[in-house]
Amino acid sequence: MFRPYISQSLLRKLKRMTATPSPLILEKPNTSYGARKTLWDWIFPYVLVLPTLIFVFMFTLLPAVNTVIDSTLSPGRRASEPAEFVGLENYQKLFDATHFIGGRFLPILGNTLIFTLVTIAISVPLALLLALLLNRKIRGLGFWRFSIFYPTLLPLMGAASIWAFLYSDTIGLFNTILRAFGLPGVNWLGDPNMVLLSITAMNIWKQSGYFMIFYLAGLQSIPKDIYEAADLDGATVWQQLRYLTLPLLNRTTLFVLVIAITFTFQTVEQLPAMNNGNPADRGNLVLYFIFQNISERRNWGYVNAMSLVLVGILLIFTIANFVLFERRSDVE
Amino acid sequence: MIRHKQTLGATLVALLMLVAVSVMAQDKIVVDFYYPTAVDGPIDEIIAKYEADFEAMHPEIDVVPAYTGSYTQTRDTIRTEIAAEDVIVDVAVMLATDLTSFVEDESIVPAQQFIDAMDTADAFTAGFFPAFLANSADEDGMIWSVPFQRSTPILYYNADLFAEAGIAVPTNNEELIAAAQALQTEDRAGLLLPVAGTFPTWLYQSFAAAYGQPIVEASPAEVFFNTPESLAAVEFITKLGMAEADGGFAVGPMGGSAWGDTPTAFTSGQAAMIYHTTGSLTSILNNATFEVGVAFLPSGPAGETGTGYGAPTGGGNLYIFAAAAPEVQEAAWLWVEYLASDTVQSDWGANTGYIAATVGAWDVEPLKTLVTEKPQYLVARDQLEFAVKEFDSYRSIDVQGIINTALSSIISGNVPLSEAQATLDAAQVQIDSLLAEYK
Repeated sequence: MFRPYISQSLLRKLKRMTATPSPLILEKPNTSYGARKTLWDWIFPYVLVLPTLIFVFMFTLLPAVNTVIDSTLSPGRRASEPAEFVGLENYQKLFDATHFIGGRFLPILGNTLIFTLVTIAISVPLALLLALLLNRKIRGLGFWRFSIFYPTLLPLMGAASIWAFLYSDTIGLFNTILRAFGLPGVNWLGDPNMVLLSITAMNIWKQSGYFMIFYLAGLQSIPKDIYEAADLDGATVWQQLRYLTLPLLNRTTLFVLVIAITFTFQTVEQLPAMNNGNPADRGNLVLYFIFQNISERRNWGYVNAMSLVLVGILLIFTIANFVLFERRSDVE
Repeated sequence: MIRHKQTLGATLVALLMLVAVSVMAQDKIVVDFYYPTAVDGPIDEIIAKYEADFEAMHPEIDVVPAYTGSYTQTRDTIRTEIAAEDVIVDVAVMLATDLTSFVEDESIVPAQQFIDAMDTADAFTAGFFPAFLANSADEDGMIWSVPFQRSTPILYYNADLFAEAGIAVPTNNEELIAAAQALQTEDRAGLLLPVAGTFPTWLYQSFAAAYGQPIVEASPAEVFFNTPESLAAVEFITKLGMAEADGGFAVGPMGGSAWGDTPTAFTSGQAAMIYHTTGSLTSILNNATFEVGVAFLPSGPAGETGTGYGAPTGGGNLYIFAAAAPEVQEAAWLWVEYLASDTVQSDWGANTGYIAATVGAWDVEPLKTLVTEKPQYLVARDQLEFAVKEFDSYRSIDVQGIINTALSSIISGNVPLSEAQATLDAAQVQIDSLLAEYK
């Protein structure tokens, strides 16, 4: 457990403070604790956070509430006609395979889950491995670290454009190499069975370096002396990794997994450069599908419903992560 | 405190200056003009040239052009402004096929009202190629948008290869396959059909028309997607990439090629023939190291009834927005009229490869001289005689999404050809349920 050091005097002060009567009763002077507070003293902190509150309200809370409301509405045929309240019908349509949105939504949701899980299953262990390799004194350490972190610095759209060239069926580097060896080229982005893998591979390359940075930071916060102690006790490298490094990196792993899941679920900027989710939606992802439907005003009900489903899924993953990892780190 | 006062003072001065600038600008009628582009070239310089020329003629008007990315980005930007009820745009170039959506959303005003006010109303309308006006009018014949940067797909071929092999340029689909099979090698596709990208619908329409049933007719409430002609068209497109062992023609990659890669593959000698937009003509002519031939899209199967040449039109029209003040709309119309004039259309067509949309533009410089030097530009114009209305319907974005997904599914081999009819039927059911309320 995390237990910050607190001096005795501070502890006493804290206890006094918690014993203070409710700050709303201003008439009653509080002699046991500091000078009397004026009304302004109480309001002042709120004034300070007010700009932030306004922005959070305008750009986070209000849109969130609107999303919930709009997800139950069906826009009128003409822009001037009022929207009709349809309850949960928009959600129901999302799971109706004969509906023009529903017929595409479920397969695309499946793609998103595969994309996210495969990306994480490969990139997080890869990030850990790279961090372990680069947490030692080797020649050109800075160069290696930079090389692996470099993809993260590229804008995703730019990286995707580069990879789209590599993947190109006719003029791409990958197929040029394959064909130089007399092998048939692969239609990386055009073959319905390849496109999701191609997009996932690019994403693993793009994200591993980012996750590696967190693991490097985690590794460097582990004190060296426990490894010295383990060495004296005759622990093998594998045992040190299994019983020291991995448990001590638990919090890092939790953090990496949470950001990896939320991050990957929302990683779709590569799609405009990589065949727009084609062919046959086999390379499409939920957030991009939502975006594809925004421009039709009459789909706003579905668009908002899909957004909330996406938020729901993210919430489940995040909570599951916390429950799993928090409990384990408590035990240790 | 002193410092605060200084900051306050500076802010006030800045605000005053802003107000002053905007007051000064208000002397002129400001027309915000959004334009996308889908072709290479110094488009912004050309537009700036038109702006200067126009403002010299109309000193009371200040046109403010803004490049807004792709067609989709332009449409989405404008839709966002409209949804936020803070509309900046007064006039814009958008896809000709955006018409029905924007009429439904009540966000544009008909060009007809301005045309009717002209002394030369009939001559103005008659000046355009009829194929390009097909997507400007609604069911009642009212004109809403004015053709500006228009295009159509054409067949590009490597004339050197044809000359070497002694093969004639194909005029129908059978000759197309024969030529493609004769000219393909291990490193070179016989024919690249760019249907792998975002909009297989566009090229599909030319096959649907060539097989006898265009995807749409006059009514925007009816779409034809599961007819025998549709099936024949989609089967033909799919077979281009299928192995001969599976009954295909094997003249290009399965699923077609990507839109943007196709001209590059052609100019670098990796394809004997391609289908592409006329909008790429200028850059293909500039980049190819061989003699580039241009021809009509080959016609449907010879000898059967109801077949022939067929190509959709494409590209962008000029729209004026309802949110603009009446005097701004009037000024915007003058700008539209200017952009649609023979002089500008001729210059625009010569610089970009878009087909000049007025008949008169072809008798004006620089296009007049250009076509004598490069007769390729004439092929696209002459094909217009056989052009069909481009896809547009109610709920056009959704219907196009359904069609694209179904086409992509069949063409890429995600579903086998034996299930193609079922896929088209399922798509037609979805389309019909969307369009039911408009019938």
